Amino acid sequence: MAKISIDGDDLVVEMEGLDKLWALKSRLAIPLTNVRGATADPGIIREPKGLRAPGTRIPGLITAGTFHIDGEQVFWDVHDAAKAVVVELADDRYARLIVEVADPRATVALVEAALAAR
Amino acid sequence: MGRPRGFDEAAVVRSAAELFATRSYDGISMDELVTHLGVHRNSLYKTFGSKRGLYQAALTWSLEHEVAPLIGRLQRSGDIAAALRVALTEPGAETGLNLLLLAAVERAPVDGEVAEQLDKVLAAFDEAALQAADANLPAGDADRTADGAKADLAFALTATILGLRLRARAAGSGAGDGGATDIRRAGAALAHHLTQS
Repeated sequence: MAKISIDGDDLVVEMEGLDKLWALKSRLAIPLTNVRGATADPGIIREPKGLRAPGTRIPGLITAGTFHIDGEQVFWDVHDAAKAVVVELADDRYARLIVEVADPRATVALVEAALAAR
Repeated sequence: MGRPRGFDEAAVVRSAAELFATRSYDGISMDELVTHLGVHRNSLYKTFGSKRGLYQAALTWSLEHEVAPLIGRLQRSGDIAAALRVALTEPGAETGLNLLLLAAVERAPVDGEVAEQLDKVLAAFDEAALQAADANLPAGDADRTADGAKADLAFALTATILGLRLRARAAGSGAGDGGATDIRRAGAALAHHLTQS
């Protein structure tokens, strides 16, 4: 599980609990200008993940860390796919972030409001 | 920013507009969009950024290519009877107006950009209806009351067109042709009444 918040001009993703360990990352800060949007997308868990490096993947249980696919890097932190949110980025190390949050609908609304206010 | 396109973006946007015109935004999952549009999920994200980004592209396309031409024809229709006929029977009016209705009900209250877009389109609709209504009102009399009455009539005409489209949708597929005959008849009856008085 991760927590997505807005801090000034940044979108901040903080991994909670042991996910810091699985994902080998505790916090990501992305400038809002590099954020293109957020989408609740439970189905994305069935997509190919690509090559894991570094991170943790136990199919059906956890997908966490940096994955390489089609020449892109994607950051995952998902146990429960039903709560997965996809944050699409531009001009960033990651092409997109796919993280599990407590309330996908509220998170999407938060990101969209921050982008609209920019 | 690199945006590899393995697909026809315009066709995808048009197809998304068709889907968004049939069901609610929240009721359509990314899985359905991926299946319906036949485009890889990652490509959708790369091109449109999010589901909202795709929806915005679809709504903008529909307002420009379905609703704006309809408004143009409405404007040139001549009188109220013809305006109602155009707005209710033109092919292409259905998808565009259905999407507009759904957007007004579901998205405009929570999305400022959608609200702004609809505001402009409805104003253009009123403007076109105003020109159509012009033919049915006493001419030459350019005083303020007459102008006010015309604007009110135009507003009511736009509301009527959208209301009849809503009734057609409510009739659903159970009504044979989806209520198209009913709304044509209702439109014709109203136009007849308005132009007789």
